Amino acid sequence: MKPPPFLLSVTLLFWGWQSDLVLPGALMAVILESALVFRTRWDLSEDDFSKTWSFCSLVLLSAVVYSFTNNEGPSSFATMFDDLSASNQRTATVASARTAAQVIRWLPMIFFPFLAAQTFSTRESIPLTTLSLILQRRWRKAKQLGQPLPPARGFNVGYPYFCAALLSASFHPSEDTSFFWGFCALLMWVLWTQRSRRYGIAVWIVLLAAAGTAGYFGQRSMAGAQAYLTNHLSAQWLANFIRRADDPFQNRTSLGLVGRLKMSDSIVIRLQPETPKNVPAYLREASYRLYRGSTWYSGSSRDYIDSIAEEQPAPSGNWPLLSDKRTASRLNIACYLDGFDKGSPAGLLPLPSGTARLEKLAAYTVDRYAAGSVMAHGPGLVLFDAHYGPGATFDLPSGFGTVTNLRGRRLYEESGLGRFEPHGDWASSNDPPVFVYSYTNEDLAVTPLEAAALDAVVDELKLKGRDQSETLRVLQQFFDNQFKYSMWQSPPRSSNTNQTPLARFLLETRSGHCEYFATATVLLLRRVGIPARYATGYSVHEESGDGYVVRLSDAHAWTLVWDETHKVWNDFDTTPAIWVEAEKKNRSPLRWLKDAWSRFTFEFAKLRNGQGNIRGYLLWIIVPGMVLLLGQIVFRRGRKRRKDKKSDADFLAIWPGLDSDFYQLEKKIAARGVPRSDAEPLNLWLQRVEKSPGMETLREPLRELIKLHYRHRFDPHGLNAAEREKLKAETKRCLELLAQSRSGNS
Amino acid sequence: MNPSAAREVFQKIATNISRVIQGHAAPTRKLLAALASGGHVLLEDFPGTGKTTLAKALARSVDAKFKRVQFTPDLLPSDILGVAIFNQLDQQFHFHEGPIFTNILLADEINRASPRTQSALLEAMGEGQVSVDGERRNLADLFFVIATQNPVEFRGTYPLPEAQMDRFAMQFTLGYVQPADEVAVLTAQANNHPLDALASCVTLADVTALKHTAQNIRISDELKRYVVDLVGATRSANGVQLGASPRASIALMKAAQALALFDGLEFVTPEQIQELAVPVIAHRLVMQPQARFSGLTARGVVEDVVKKIKVPA
Ligand SMILES: Nc1ncnc2c1ncn2[C@@H]1O[C@H](COP(=O)(O)OP(=O)(O)O)[C@@H](O)[C@H]1O
Ligand SMILES: [Mg+2]
Repeated sequence: MKPPPFLLSVTLLFWGWQSDLVLPGALMAVILESALVFRTRWDLSEDDFSKTWSFCSLVLLSAVVYSFTNNEGPSSFATMFDDLSASNQRTATVASARTAAQVIRWLPMIFFPFLAAQTFSTRESIPLTTLSLILQRRWRKAKQLGQPLPPARGFNVGYPYFCAALLSASFHPSEDTSFFWGFCALLMWVLWTQRSRRYGIAVWIVLLAAAGTAGYFGQRSMAGAQAYLTNHLSAQWLANFIRRADDPFQNRTSLGLVGRLKMSDSIVIRLQPETPKNVPAYLREASYRLYRGSTWYSGSSRDYIDSIAEEQPAPSGNWPLLSDKRTASRLNIACYLDGFDKGSPAGLLPLPSGTARLEKLAAYTVDRYAAGSVMAHGPGLVLFDAHYGPGATFDLPSGFGTVTNLRGRRLYEESGLGRFEPHGDWASSNDPPVFVYSYTNEDLAVTPLEAAALDAVVDELKLKGRDQSETLRVLQQFFDNQFKYSMWQSPPRSSNTNQTPLARFLLETRSGHCEYFATATVLLLRRVGIPARYATGYSVHEESGDGYVVRLSDAHAWTLVWDETHKVWNDFDTTPAIWVEAEKKNRSPLRWLKDAWSRFTFEFAKLRNGQGNIRGYLLWIIVPGMVLLLGQIVFRRGRKRRKDKKSDADFLAIWPGLDSDFYQLEKKIAARGVPRSDAEPLNLWLQRVEKSPGMETLREPLRELIKLHYRHRFDPHGLNAAEREKLKAETKRCLELLAQSRSGNS
Repeated sequence: MNPSAAREVFQKIATNISRVIQGHAAPTRKLLAALASGGHVLLEDFPGTGKTTLAKALARSVDAKFKRVQFTPDLLPSDILGVAIFNQLDQQFHFHEGPIFTNILLADEINRASPRTQSALLEAMGEGQVSVDGERRNLADLFFVIATQNPVEFRGTYPLPEAQMDRFAMQFTLGYVQPADEVAVLTAQANNHPLDALASCVTLADVTALKHTAQNIRISDELKRYVVDLVGATRSANGVQLGASPRASIALMKAAQALALFDGLEFVTPEQIQELAVPVIAHRLVMQPQARFSGLTARGVVEDVVKKIKVPA
């Protein structure tokens, strides 16, 4: 089956438009249609097709490999042939399932040579043996042994290519419905040309509506598939539960949300401790200071950003966070930088408490935030060593902070810190920040809204007057004994709608997840005068091989408590330990599959990470190789070129009677749904015509006409002038009858 | 003889045969096409499907010499061709004609005889003459062999030599008839065999004239080309070791001419050629021994060729 003219080139244009690859799309369309102008055809052998197919497969493979090493997704065709220094910048980016989406988007380009080979060859169809190695082997074996060759089947690549191009176009980034309408239009086109002429336009339109509906759902499911590929399997999915798009400055908790929290169990971090089993319990990404309306803010420390200088000579990959701290432990961390900032992937690094130094970190920049987080810009996946140990952390000490603008001031005042008294040259916003020590401690801030509930608990536990270690012990016991870990939040009772979610947690439900426990603990500690912060990150507990893996569902929140005597922040976790078990229950049964995939992509990314420039080499290997291969196929010596089939028509024209008027009628009847196949003699065809609805009146005249026509064609004596005229007249009569039967029919 | 008279001869024979043979109109048509085009026929089918009866019915319908030879393993070539016997009286050899010197010969169950005997018959069919003891003897002008054979897989058979299969213009099967036709067979044979009551309806001269008329049916160059293309395509078809020869093209054309005559036409049309392609071509193909493992049959090859080659229209 051959697609109607121009369908493929229009489809290619559509694909180009949808996939932001307009130029390649247009180019391919032009090449395809140039076949109409240049009538030269190559006499391609099966071997040539086989080679072209291998070529396309190789390109596909290369595209997969290339795409794996480039998770940003080459936003344009140009990127593929970008200069290497620029691609250096982009080297070492995460290999994820986005690869699949990318490669699918490239499919029409990848398989274009095959389509072009068919278009510019003398063949209408391509033997199946070119595609199937099994068939190919069978052929070769049979040939060697002199056995009968298996039957050769051919196919036209037109429609398969059409489908591939549509599939590819469906992986488009745009949210609008242009794809759907374009898809519909192309489908209509195909259906129109393929429709059965036997039925009227009305029937066709009904079918079309059905096709449209199918198309709509097709679009939906394809969009779904794409969403699945980009969301489920890709690192983007990380920005989900506790983390909100890598914001070190604020963290919206799910406090107060009703229902069950759902979390993906994809692996997001892999750890390799230096000495077995020596891993920290927590990996922190950020800490926050001010709590207001279910959101934690970094407070005044947001403006304290410290760019870490990479150790010279760059790129050494060594980034000192605390230059004078000695550390005992080393941990190799692999994680994704899943955000995007200033043109490169960026993200908060999950680090053990007391991290003093990062090594082998292939980042472009590393920034330390006073909010207790380290942000790196770099490739999508980073692998590095974190040197850590007990003692000093890179967090700013309790009470340290700055307030420089009105927003900060409002936040400050709303967080229960009292009225903000500006220091220094407050009026000018361009002034350098003013640092305030223990001025009014943000690490002690409690919103008045929560004060009553907190006081109730403080009274209940008689916390006032106890020393710090005593307080921590009591709190730990309190949460352990009287609270329940739960991912489920029931709706509040109507009478108590004014209650804050935290108050409800503390006084009423006494059940919740880590965000509740951590928030409550921070605020309770503050209420009795102990500086505390809210920390987010991951809990580490799942061994895998000789290392550890951390899943998105291991995301956790806990408390940092200020130790005034040692001037350090300590981790303090009041969430009941059973939470880990509770999370496990939610794991999907297909987890092993996802894990295997994750492992695969990770290993590949690691390989690439080890050799930063592998993509550069890849390009140097792939491109010339491909060019060579293509050249060999196209410009093989001794290839026969053949002119268009016109000569064939000349040859046919020597037979007498081909001028018969009957052919007009045959065409018309074919258009009415009874086409004649090439090998079907007229009388067999006639039997089918007679049986088809609406042609009854035609039976006798047509039978007579075919007799006459046969004499004209096959009787060497031929027709005399009168009979020739009769043939013409009879044909005309039949044509009229046919037209009448149509109008009578519909 | 003019075409319409010739057609009448055909119809007379066909009607006469149909008095005995039920539900085999198409094979009868082919059989008569072979007769009218001067070719021989090989009927291949399971025992009891009416092969012998069909051949006999034809023989009875024509007022001509008819012989029947039941082929058996001990049948000798001389049993068919004849033998020269020394006469004591005149001290001379006298040739005793074998059954081959006839107009219509029914060679029943031909594949049960030894290859030597088969070859003797096949050679005679090809040459139109026999040589016994170095002396050549011409066969009758109208010499029509109807051979029957059981399918080759049956035990106790010698397959016909492949290379000589194309001495037969056509080979076809009868097949089992519809239940209604079979009931008619039972009814007809309730008392005695209908064959016994069958009288001849045409003369030898009528058949000879029919042959001549068939030869004069016109065929265009384009259809000759179509015949050649069909036959030629079998030579390059998959699984075929030896394709059909020009002898097949000739037989196909002649048989198609006869069929066109039966159809009341004065020229051949593609329909006749397609109708006869399988019975005329298939049995001449020598398939590669492995071909049957891949499900390829000579019949399938020809059917494929007919389906593939563009028919003039
Ligand atoms: N289609 C038929 N029409 C009439 N008689 C038939 C038919 N098929 C089989 N018979 C009868 O079956 C019997 C066996 O037929 P016969 O010609 O001897 O078979 P074959 O020679 O094929 O073994 C005969 O009595 C014959 O009349
Ligand atoms: Mg018999």
